[in-house]
Amino acid sequence: MNPSVIPGRGWRLPRHELALLAATVAVFVVTGWLDPNHTYVTNWAESSEIILRNTALLGIIALGAAVVIIAGGIDLSAGSMVAFSATTCGLILMVCSEPGDKRLVTVGPLGIAAAIGGAMASGLLVGTLHTWLITSIRLPPFIATLATLVGLRSFARAMCLFVTKERWGSESQQINVNTPFFSWLKEHNVVITTGTFLVLAILTWLILSRTVLGRHLYALGGNEQAARLSGVRTDNVKWFAYCFGSLTSALAGIFLMADSSVAQPGTLARGYELNAIAAAVVGGCSLQGGVGTVPGTVLGALFLRLVIDAVSKLIKASADVYEGMIVGIIVALAVTLTQVGRFSRTGRTLFAGGRGLAAIPTIATFAGLLAMMSSGNVEAFQGRTGLVGTAVGMAVLAALAVIRWLEGRRTP
Amino acid sequence: MTPIIAFRGVGKRFPGVVALDHVSFDLRQGECHAICGENGAGKSTLMKLLSGVITEHEGEILIRGEPAAFRGTRDAEAAGIAIIHQELNLVEQLSAAANIYLGREQRTPLGLLDDAAMEREAAALLAELECPIDPRTLAGTLRVGDQQLLEIAKALSLSSDVLIMDEPTSALTESEVARLDRVIARLRRRGVTILYISHKMDEVFRLADRITVLRDGRHVKTVDRTATSPREVTGWMVGREIADHGFHGVRSRGPQVLEVRRLTLPWPGHPRGYRLENISLALHAGEILGVAGLMGAGRTELLETIFGAGEPTWTGEIVVDGRPVRFTHPAEACAAGIAMVPEDRKRLGIFPDLDVAANVSLCGLRDAVRGGLVSRNREEALVAGPIRETGVKTSGPHAVITGLSGGNQQKCIIGRWLLAKPRILLLDDPTRGIDVGAKAELYQLIDRLCREGMAVILTSSELPELLSLADRIVVLADGRLTAEFSRAEATEQRILEAATGG
Amino acid sequence: MLPLAFPRRHGFLVLPMLAVAVLCGCSGERSPATGPSKPAATPVSGTPTARRFIFITNGDDPFWDALLSGLKEGEHRYGCAAAGITVSRDVNNASAEGQIERLRQYATQDDVAGIAISVIQADNQSISEEMRKLRAKGVKVITVDGDVNRESFRDARSYYIGTDNTVGGRTLGTATRALLEAKGLKEGGYVQFAGFTDNDNARSRMNGVKEAIGDGYVERDRMADEMDLPRARDNVRNATQNHKDLAALVGIWAYNAPAIADVVTESGTRDRYVVATFDAQDLAIGHMEKGHIDVMVVQNPFEMGVRTVRLLKAMVDDDSPVIEEMFPNATAADGDVHTTGLRVVVPDTSSPVKADLFDPKVVEFMPLQDFKAWLAKYGLTSS
Repeated sequence: MNPSVIPGRGWRLPRHELALLAATVAVFVVTGWLDPNHTYVTNWAESSEIILRNTALLGIIALGAAVVIIAGGIDLSAGSMVAFSATTCGLILMVCSEPGDKRLVTVGPLGIAAAIGGAMASGLLVGTLHTWLITSIRLPPFIATLATLVGLRSFARAMCLFVTKERWGSESQQINVNTPFFSWLKEHNVVITTGTFLVLAILTWLILSRTVLGRHLYALGGNEQAARLSGVRTDNVKWFAYCFGSLTSALAGIFLMADSSVAQPGTLARGYELNAIAAAVVGGCSLQGGVGTVPGTVLGALFLRLVIDAVSKLIKASADVYEGMIVGIIVALAVTLTQVGRFSRTGRTLFAGGRGLAAIPTIATFAGLLAMMSSGNVEAFQGRTGLVGTAVGMAVLAALAVIRWLEGRRTP
Repeated sequence: MTPIIAFRGVGKRFPGVVALDHVSFDLRQGECHAICGENGAGKSTLMKLLSGVITEHEGEILIRGEPAAFRGTRDAEAAGIAIIHQELNLVEQLSAAANIYLGREQRTPLGLLDDAAMEREAAALLAELECPIDPRTLAGTLRVGDQQLLEIAKALSLSSDVLIMDEPTSALTESEVARLDRVIARLRRRGVTILYISHKMDEVFRLADRITVLRDGRHVKTVDRTATSPREVTGWMVGREIADHGFHGVRSRGPQVLEVRRLTLPWPGHPRGYRLENISLALHAGEILGVAGLMGAGRTELLETIFGAGEPTWTGEIVVDGRPVRFTHPAEACAAGIAMVPEDRKRLGIFPDLDVAANVSLCGLRDAVRGGLVSRNREEALVAGPIRETGVKTSGPHAVITGLSGGNQQKCIIGRWLLAKPRILLLDDPTRGIDVGAKAELYQLIDRLCREGMAVILTSSELPELLSLADRIVVLADGRLTAEFSRAEATEQRILEAATGG
Repeated sequence: MLPLAFPRRHGFLVLPMLAVAVLCGCSGERSPATGPSKPAATPVSGTPTARRFIFITNGDDPFWDALLSGLKEGEHRYGCAAAGITVSRDVNNASAEGQIERLRQYATQDDVAGIAISVIQADNQSISEEMRKLRAKGVKVITVDGDVNRESFRDARSYYIGTDNTVGGRTLGTATRALLEAKGLKEGGYVQFAGFTDNDNARSRMNGVKEAIGDGYVERDRMADEMDLPRARDNVRNATQNHKDLAALVGIWAYNAPAIADVVTESGTRDRYVVATFDAQDLAIGHMEKGHIDVMVVQNPFEMGVRTVRLLKAMVDDDSPVIEEMFPNATAADGDVHTTGLRVVVPDTSSPVKADLFDPKVVEFMPLQDFKAWLAKYGLTSS
């Protein structure tokens, strides 16, 4: 019985998602406790706003990533698509505004509708382009979306420079958007983005688990050849998947543009695609295709955002320096732990042979260095960071050595 | 005289499954020893133990009288045991010589690869095996028969004196089988002991000195070949005697449903130029048309082209129910009432991450839709029919499909297509890799479907199967249709001649 | 996922435990007076409530290192420790969203008492909005070095400390003109290089340069590099190739100076251009010593840092005399602007740029030697 593969069967959450839920709650509780300001308690409204808003934005993109991954593909261009969509939206607003209005406050409702429609249409176009590259030109999805990862952002920047020059006489790297509609969107962004995310999640869940199209998506990802030979129009299903991915990114682009009041293609959403893929994978999607669920992806996005938020709360200065490292560790751990079961069953060991032995001091060294660097932020450890680093390193070394010794005893 | 290999109470358990249970028998030096058993009898597990792929087991394996404690395949190789797998383990992008010496590459005094020396020695080995290929050829471009000999050459280069061959002839042509026989004879003269796994009785009785039968992980019997008969051995394999399953009684033939006229499928870049050349045949409702031919004759291509799953570059005509058609996608063929069960079910048939119900329901899922959404209950009701009709043995519709045996998986795929209510069923080698008992069940299923009016095209490499099932048999050789026989006219001899002569 | 064996049943607890362990390892600053189990706001008798001043930069630039020294000096000079105040710096990632997100995070942290920010986009509504929200909560908010658009968003911050960038631009323009005339060039083109051309201080400087350099010379381009150093170099290379009448290269942000100097030196075209730059990164100082830079207009980020702390502390202490001293014309237009000094640094006194070109009340003129002496006095390597 594999309930996490065929979603919607029963209300019990499968093991993986339960673990993820437990981990999410654990992170939340621990952060709240360790944080000297206890912001989760004292400022719960604002803290939860931050978490909800960011989770919703990440989640919208992650849902798109998950659908593409389940269909057996991959979309590396999500971040650039976000930037492209935001830029398209901003440029259409610009064109629909009065000349000389550099804040875009004079755009009428028609212009706003056109801008939003245009941004979503750009998502549709890019998704179609991806599908064409993958099915007709037979580019591997990795390569096709790598090309758009780089190309879309660059194209967006060029568009921005060109249109701003045409319209305002001088080139600009960004477009400020102070249109009242988008300002209103920004004011209520928590409710609107979270609401949209939930609606989108339910819709995606319905499609994946309860429609023929969803079943075809799983079939395509599980075994493309077999799907085709069973009469599934695989090219059409792929088109849906990639368009869905690009449309969600386009939607996120509109929200992000509203939130930061600016469409800046150079820097907007850099790296978001990796966070989205990480959320999907932590939530149980397999990069081989054919496996994954919406609840898992939603939990994955929440978990990831909570970890990032925790880093901001606990490491007071230069938090984003550590963010990448810590998110990377957590994601690797999360995916590894879902495969822990395989180790005991097949008899494979974590630290077998010479290479396993070499891995132990390497991991211990990294752990010690990480502890040393992050303890530099802690007042109590000032001046003793070297000691802290060594202590942690030794502790990890001892723990891993014990695991190795236990493994050695298991196989006679 | 000490047996070269002795199994003493060998057992192996996997979680939930006992693969081997107290198996004990001997292998004598220099003999050709056949191991027979249905799928799941434990043959491959036993071979994996012997070749070092699996290292933990109960009981003892004695090699030349000494207990063996293999920690991996290298230890087995060092002990002189080599295994030729059914699925060949070659690196397609490397040359033949490179494959032979993979992991034991020869070097010049400077430490660089000594390709010349390896190729020379490879050429010598291959000549001994009657394999006329250039050792520099890329392994991926070789015919399956040559690839197999390459594996044997690899084993010989290791100076193995125990050779395990797992279903070696399943992908060979007649002439290649004959060549393999000669090679085996030569190896035996050298004193190599051969463990030959097969369930083709004709081969077993042609080659083996002694036969061991395994059933459900247990050892049933070890006998001299001369002391037994194919029927008896098959009986031990399934635990009962299998009657020769000829399907007697004429099936009534209905109107013509499919006609193929002058079908030609080009093959760019190949010396032959065509995969299929000028094929014409006709199919009627209620009949089974058998398609015989060697590997590479074009049987799969013929079926794929009719189904719309092959290359769209074919010329000629395909006429379904009097209307000419040109399918560009299997979905169109499906809509026209044609279904195809592909050859390689693992690669082309099943969805490993989905359960049995999802695998079976795929083609007919639209019937389970209620209010725009797929209804679970309707889906389960939908698949209950095909599961029952085809006789799939499973713990329930939500069992993981990869837990089913090959035969049951095949039935699931057939069941999937039954939901689409086809009138023409194309079966590409449906009983390959399926044990005897399941085969019989499949034959009965096909026969029944035919009596109910289905038109079936059936390809097979097993002539007895074709002879007992098909109403008419056409023979393909090198892409051309060389002969057509009615059941009365067909004999194995004639079919073989048409398949090789053409 | 197949039927689970024993270890896996409990294996799923390992994930949360490990997550907890990793996070515990990173838990950050604790204020000196309280431990992790006590909420920060409860004072223990005798120890003041712990508070923080945060400085948010616009991006990563050595300019902010000199400012950090100033912040630390201010922390020491104005008795912050005794008042329980710690001062720290948060380096942004050169994007608007980065600053917005940081401002939002600080809004949730009750111990933040004052924020100084170098706004990356003057016209950005969202950044100003977040600043306003912080002010409404009672947090003291000022801008330093990069202000908001004063026409639209003045109420987002209480005060601005920084260089008068227009004056700075004019100063550089004047010096550049003097250098060009000394070379005998009455006309020619020049290109200005900055991180973002829409940034308030960049814009003001570039406009100031243009004003002061005069109509005899043509501004061929303003090139932005978004704080990407390799791109900064590429911009210089492209500029020298695209404009044939180029006579001067003007660097607006601190890292543009070494970028320009490196490129002209490596291509051997140093003598063709007048190199006039802003700020004195230690790399730039090195370049000027070797004669690769003709003039630097140097801000005083150290002093900015010191005054930031002074102002913020005065604001939280409600110290009116100090505030009045810093902002004597509070009610006048731009009375909430406090300018820090500028210096013009030349390689030596033989440079065509002379002290009498500048108003000594606004600009301090120094040869490189004197400038380095001043740096040494405060233990700085850059300004």
